[in-house]
Amino acid sequence: MPAKKKIEVNDLRISFWTNQGMVRAVRGVSFDLFEQETLAIVGESGSGKSVTSRAIMGILAGNAVIDEGEIWYDGQDLTKINEELFHNIRGDRIGMIFQDPMSSLNPIMRIGKQITEGMLINGDHRKKEFKALIREHYNALYDAKVKRKSMIKEFKEQKKELKEQGDTEKITSLKEAFEKDLDAQKKAISEARKNLAKRKTEIKQEIKERYEQKAKEYDKKIETLKASMKDKIAEETPQYKNAVDQLKKEKAKRFSRIDKEHKQNMDDIERRFQSTKGTQKEKLAKEKRAEKNRYKNEKLKAKEEFADKFAQHQHPRKVYKQQLENLKEEKARIFKVTKKEAKERAIKVMEDVGIPEPDKRFRQYPFQFSGGMRQRIVIAVALTADPDVLICDEPTTALDVTIQAQILELIKTLKVDRNLSVIFITHDLGVVANMADRVAVMYAGKIVEIGGVDEIFYNPKHPYTWALLSSMPDLNTEERLQAIPGTPPNMLFPPKGDAFADRNAYAMKIDFEKEPPYFKVSDTHYAATWLLHKDAPEVELPEAVQRRIQHMAESPEGKEDES
Amino acid sequence: MSTTNEPILRVKNLKQHFKSGFGKNKLVVKAVDDVSIDIYKGEVFGLVGESGCGKTTTGRTIIKLYEPTDGIVEFMGETISAGYESLKEMIRQTRHDARDMISDLKDELESSEDKDKDKLKQEYDEKVKEIKEKKDTQITELRKEIRRRQQITADPNMKTMKRMQMIFQDPIASLNPRMTVREIIAEGLRIAGEKDAKTITKKVNDVLETVGLLPEHAGRYPHEFSGGQRQRIGLARALVVAPEFIIADEPISALDVSIQAQVINLLNELRQELGLTIMFIAHDLSVIKYFSDRIGVMYFGKLVELAPKDELFKNPLHPYTRSLLSAVPLPDPNYEKKRKRFAYDPSTHDYSKEAPELVEIKPGHLILANSAELAEYKKVLK
Repeated sequence: MPAKKKIEVNDLRISFWTNQGMVRAVRGVSFDLFEQETLAIVGESGSGKSVTSRAIMGILAGNAVIDEGEIWYDGQDLTKINEELFHNIRGDRIGMIFQDPMSSLNPIMRIGKQITEGMLINGDHRKKEFKALIREHYNALYDAKVKRKSMIKEFKEQKKELKEQGDTEKITSLKEAFEKDLDAQKKAISEARKNLAKRKTEIKQEIKERYEQKAKEYDKKIETLKASMKDKIAEETPQYKNAVDQLKKEKAKRFSRIDKEHKQNMDDIERRFQSTKGTQKEKLAKEKRAEKNRYKNEKLKAKEEFADKFAQHQHPRKVYKQQLENLKEEKARIFKVTKKEAKERAIKVMEDVGIPEPDKRFRQYPFQFSGGMRQRIVIAVALTADPDVLICDEPTTALDVTIQAQILELIKTLKVDRNLSVIFITHDLGVVANMADRVAVMYAGKIVEIGGVDEIFYNPKHPYTWALLSSMPDLNTEERLQAIPGTPPNMLFPPKGDAFADRNAYAMKIDFEKEPPYFKVSDTHYAATWLLHKDAPEVELPEAVQRRIQHMAESPEGKEDES
Repeated sequence: MSTTNEPILRVKNLKQHFKSGFGKNKLVVKAVDDVSIDIYKGEVFGLVGESGCGKTTTGRTIIKLYEPTDGIVEFMGETISAGYESLKEMIRQTRHDARDMISDLKDELESSEDKDKDKLKQEYDEKVKEIKEKKDTQITELRKEIRRRQQITADPNMKTMKRMQMIFQDPIASLNPRMTVREIIAEGLRIAGEKDAKTITKKVNDVLETVGLLPEHAGRYPHEFSGGQRQRIGLARALVVAPEFIIADEPISALDVSIQAQVINLLNELRQELGLTIMFIAHDLSVIKYFSDRIGVMYFGKLVELAPKDELFKNPLHPYTRSLLSAVPLPDPNYEKKRKRFAYDPSTHDYSKEAPELVEIKPGHLILANSAELAEYKKVLK
């Protein structure tokens, strides 16, 4: 596993304001997402897995509060940066696939528009460049401000300490030194601010000039084309007209021949028809119909043939106009993503996600697609911006098995093709086994167990993971299911101790009193349960899990893998 | 799992076509097309298939939420609903045949160059009369049958009908938010003719206990319950009229993981206690395998394979069944790494020469195939 971290979440805590009070949805979640890996987050609904992913995307509901914690991505803390800067990350760098394709697509907008929308909005190249260049200056200002804040805090602490000791002399000297420093810092801030403003205009000017330079080339080309166009058209028109006239004559000839032949045949049949009697007539009627059909088909064929021939000749006016248009389009593409470019890219992405006939599909509405196709479109929307992290929030829960398998395969191939890191949220353990490199099991706003996919499935340590594994039947289950009794805790009043203790058959006294820390099982495998404490009694795995692990080890697939 | 040989439900050639538009725009969606199922007393019959394959429509037509286009549904020995599209077709066919026969006779008469034409003419007239009479009697009989079926469908025996109940997929959408749990559960009893308030209350309380809720819950509204409890209310509503047969239409798909197991366990217990027969509609194959005795696989309105569960999972024959089985993800990473999915391509079947039929390839194992395919499947079996 390449050790490069893509996303680092540290001790994230999120609450929601409600009429009843604060709902503690996420209570201290930490995990890393490495490059090119798939991290699956599993848990019941209400365990906070969606909230965590939404926090990474910065699309939490309005009543959400991030109490504590950091989300590091690309050297930035996503919980602290402002909305303006988030625009560069959301969708662009971190894409998201939502659960229900029916409600995440706009029913009255054509598919094409929905896919290109993001590209067109984010399509201004000048703006993007400007933002990238100005970022360090913004950061300098921000850092300076943060430093001032920390200085004030430090001073206050020191002052308080000294006050307790009663050392007035030192306080005054400290105060003097602090004021001096603060002034310097203030100056630095104002300087950074001035610098920022100055650089802003400078960079704007620079970008403007650069782009104008690029556009100039095209301007020149357009001018020359415009100047020479009229003469060229006048020169080439007679030639074109000649060719077309020739074709027209040919066409008329061909059609008259077909008509003649048909008439002859029909007359012939008619004559025979008059001279026969009884059932024979029916036969002739059939022949007549066949002849009519043949005539129709032949005419159609000839028509198509000539249409093709006509298409080869184009009026020179049209040709040059097209050339001019093309040049103008190319010029426009320097500045922004044009509609045409967006469409080309959208069709490419639609092909990538496996939508047949993307040209035709581009102009259709969501209701004209089946469930699986709709989910593909949602994926296409997420992929147009070419993100490097993809968050999939239960992308297949609303779909049935065969289509689910298709979508999962699609996400897998896209992950390899585009070097994506994926956070995959689901409650289906079968899907997890299929997709994930690492698994995080969440319960009541916490990660209770995290580890490699083999470790979680073959060596689970937390009772909740056991319960999850044994509660769903697989193709070999015969005995009664081990349902998890009760319901998840109300997060308005988060339970003391281990949140799962109430529903846990293995709960010990300490589980109700003290929250368990993370115990290390292996370098990559951690679990938060007191059962792993060295003083805890030995506990046997539930029978269903034991049997399942044993079965897995015995299955021929498992054996092949080991050898 | 005591199965007797007496089917409690017998579905014969059931068809459910939805029509829309007229003339050029006329569109017929064959949601269910020629499905025949026998369900025996005490068993759980699983029905799988992808979304849109008509499994829900089958269930809904059986319980008469739709009127069938064609085919007969027999429940506990009584016909509860019947469609008549095929009879109409038969009337058309009879007319057509008669017309053909008469025109043939006419041709014969005209082409013959016999001398005594009058005699021939007489003979011809007699024959035509005979044909017409026969046609008329046939048509009146068919019309009578149609009328009988219409009457059955419009006015079934309520006593029989109430022995059949349904559980719906989405417990939030299928419970009226303005009714208390007591009202919801008692509604069926009232419709079935129960008027005594005391009996109703007693029955409601009893059934609530059966499904693992408390009598105190009866006064509450559906929104005050969790997802699993809501599905229990739906189950209680079905159970209160003491049915013999329950159609469970994806009862756990909309539920949370940990709660799915609770509901399955509950259904399992009730089925053993009350001796219920269940038709279980779902798209999750692991759950179907766990819960059902026999499984029917549907694809595009047709039943493509029907077998006891172990047989179906051991010897899946129809390519669609095999593709479906290959798509099931299991919680086993090693297995998942090895798993290969095959796609089902319906164009591989060549039905241009001979139409497929549902045939028994092995006792209890039925498959949709024509004779050529059947021979191939038989080879695979050996």
